[in-house]
Amino acid sequence: MQMQMLHIFRNTPLGRETLLQTSYFCSQTGASPVIYVPENLKFLMYFENDVVQIDLDKSYLNNPETAKARAVNVIESMGLATPRFIEPKHFTASTLPDIPVNFEFMCCPRSISDLSSKIGLGHIGPRVRRIVKSATFPVLIPSMLFKPFTSIAVLFGGSHNAMRALRLGLRIQSFSGLPLDVFTQADDKRSQDDFRGILADAGLETQMDKNVRKWYFFDKSRFQDNLYEISHDALIVLGSYGHGLVKELLFGSTMEMVQSVMTNSMLIVGHQYRAGV
Amino acid sequence: MKKYSVKKIWRYPSRLVFFRLDDRLLLIVLGALVGVCSGLASVALNHGLSALSDILQSCRSLWWAFFLPGIGAVLSFLFLEKVVREGAGHGVPEVVYSVSRYGGLMRFRSSFSRLISSWLTIGSGGSAGPEAPVVMSGAAIGSNIARFFSLNERQRVALVGCGTAGALAGIFNAPITGMVFTIEIIMGDWSAVNVVPIAIASVAGAQVSRLLSGDQIQFTHLKFAIDMTSIFLSIGLAVVTAAVSVLLTRCLVASHDIAGRIFLPFWIKAAVGGCLVGLIGLARPEVLGEGYHFIQKMVEGGFPAGLFLVTLLVAAKIIATSLTLGWGGSGGIFAPCLVIGSFTGLMCHRSIMALWPGLTSINEGCFALLGMSGLISGILQAPMTGIFLIVEITGGYETILPLIIVSAISTTLTHAFEPASYYLRDLISSGQYMRPRTDARVLSDLSIRELVETDCITVHRSMKLGDFVKVVQESHRNYFPVADEKSGKFVGMIHLDDIRPYLFDPLLYEAVFLEQIMRADPDTVDIADELSEVLDRMDKRRLYSMPVVSGDRFVGMVSKATLLDRYRHELMVQS
Repeated sequence: MQMQMLHIFRNTPLGRETLLQTSYFCSQTGASPVIYVPENLKFLMYFENDVVQIDLDKSYLNNPETAKARAVNVIESMGLATPRFIEPKHFTASTLPDIPVNFEFMCCPRSISDLSSKIGLGHIGPRVRRIVKSATFPVLIPSMLFKPFTSIAVLFGGSHNAMRALRLGLRIQSFSGLPLDVFTQADDKRSQDDFRGILADAGLETQMDKNVRKWYFFDKSRFQDNLYEISHDALIVLGSYGHGLVKELLFGSTMEMVQSVMTNSMLIVGHQYRAGV
Repeated sequence: MKKYSVKKIWRYPSRLVFFRLDDRLLLIVLGALVGVCSGLASVALNHGLSALSDILQSCRSLWWAFFLPGIGAVLSFLFLEKVVREGAGHGVPEVVYSVSRYGGLMRFRSSFSRLISSWLTIGSGGSAGPEAPVVMSGAAIGSNIARFFSLNERQRVALVGCGTAGALAGIFNAPITGMVFTIEIIMGDWSAVNVVPIAIASVAGAQVSRLLSGDQIQFTHLKFAIDMTSIFLSIGLAVVTAAVSVLLTRCLVASHDIAGRIFLPFWIKAAVGGCLVGLIGLARPEVLGEGYHFIQKMVEGGFPAGLFLVTLLVAAKIIATSLTLGWGGSGGIFAPCLVIGSFTGLMCHRSIMALWPGLTSINEGCFALLGMSGLISGILQAPMTGIFLIVEITGGYETILPLIIVSAISTTLTHAFEPASYYLRDLISSGQYMRPRTDARVLSDLSIRELVETDCITVHRSMKLGDFVKVVQESHRNYFPVADEKSGKFVGMIHLDDIRPYLFDPLLYEAVFLEQIMRADPDTVDIADELSEVLDRMDKRRLYSMPVVSGDRFVGMVSKATLLDRYRHELMVQS
């Protein structure tokens, strides 16, 4: 069955860049974009164990009369078929539509609620965090400007979620045929052999040898410094542990650090992610 | 045995061996917790309303006092829309919707937003009740506690019910009413699995209320003598309360519609509605706020108004409530129903006394109680709630016989004119009201994606019949999707029956192309369509299966046979 990617369309030049990134991602993976053009400033996403209210900034409602045509133009310019548009069928309140969540991917800018002037490195909006935390699909956080990715970089730290990110990276590699690199930062306790053992336990050793172009294993200097090795035009695939907001702000996480350093598009695998692709 | 860390046990208590024996134990423990929290919410709102009312009491006699409900409504609206961005709605329908459609998932902000907004609306004099907001708050507390402890959907729904019961029990100090209302209105399901934790939560909510506010019933317990005349006359009262219920429902809906058609900012509409209520309140203060003080007077027989004035008050309270709730204020219809009901009871009493002045066996306090029960039963179409509420808030069973008669008749007559209760009418009209284990509910939990059969072999439009026959030999299906070989676009279907006329003439194998014999543009199902709509289409066209497409691509087939399998499985899960 064809995979689908949800995109909330913002009818602005910034929104166009984001949609271009979605279109490119879809063209590489064979997914079909599903577009929601908001008619209200808020909507709900009911996940399996959480309900997330998305409060949009006003630019999402810009020129509603041209929104669909522009979205179709952008999508078709990438050689994709005319996208499906979501028309909400269910409403929690008359101005509060419920958006379906049964997709394989979703594209979200770094912040969906704030004015675009606030969006920058080092900031992921609270709603986007909630979506990542609750969604069963991975979330694509695109770069600010559309930049086609020419390789895939998986950040693999050996955790359960990192393993799922690696599996996702391998799948995307199989769809797109793009080269895949894996990046691992050694810690005091584990060597590369230990990580190989983890991969062997997960049955991924053969796939790694066959499909991974290079496994970058860093045992020196800090991880944020080593991130320079990641190609500027790579799609970064990484897992998010699923800490609460407070814990993440206080203690940080790999995702926090990566998103504050890298300008690349990132595909984030949340805690509830189920391999649908 | 698998070991779990302390953190995992804390967040996943259902994994504990003790609770794995029977998940009702877990629901009882968490239900009590939810009941306590929702009871606290109801006590907080009750005390907050008393405090605000006391503060504003000194201003009520001033000429500009009519602005107060307007200011309250604006603040309430701005708080809901701009501060917590909650979205419109009065509470109970949202809870029913969440239980019906999303397994009781509710936003955390709902656990406090309506408390504050209704405190502003009602405390400033708006004609609304605190019960629906506190019900929403309790339900959201239950939902979020269930989410925190990672409970499953069935358990979460039970805790939403616990929150509702605890909140209502707390605000009225009426545990049975809390329980009955929850089961009758919110859950629509009397299963033992739900009833036990809801009962516990109801007791917990009421007990918290008693500890913090004292063990007092809402209205003084009076002993009314009920004879055959009263019972007979209560039938007439039931008819009148049914009529008033229908009138109130339609006024509320009309007021909301009128407000919707006026092109003014919402906050101005709220201000206008509130100020109009304030103006009515200057003339008749009985219409302001929740109005329990006047109910008490009517029950005690100390309300001096005559027939004309009481009739006027019924109309004034209906208008005030419609203006408050329809124009942007926040609150519920429970308390206004009680006030209008007691006015209606009094109106009937005065009418009877005007017709038969010598009839001394009927009591106006008793009629006020029966009127309340009739209105609640009529508006909510929930007779049990109407009966138990009056019994509990008056602390006596003396009036139980006429209460049952009034509630039953009022519910039945109102139902004839308004097929759905005020809480459920919008949900029913939009097809969102789904009770557990009903056909609509089971179908809503299934999607086309889950049912699609993808083992069909796609053939191309330019394929020769001879090649197609070979494909048929390899396949076990009767339907074959046809796609354009270049674009992959789905262009038609071929059924085995379609090739039967050509099958036994090998000369045609090389001469006939599938494009010539396929059914072009067949009825298709989009992968995103609702299953209930698809079934309707299948029934209307007498089809047993349909092709599923996504965009212009064939995805698979959806058939009634597969649906039946999944339907039974889903029904078992829900049961």
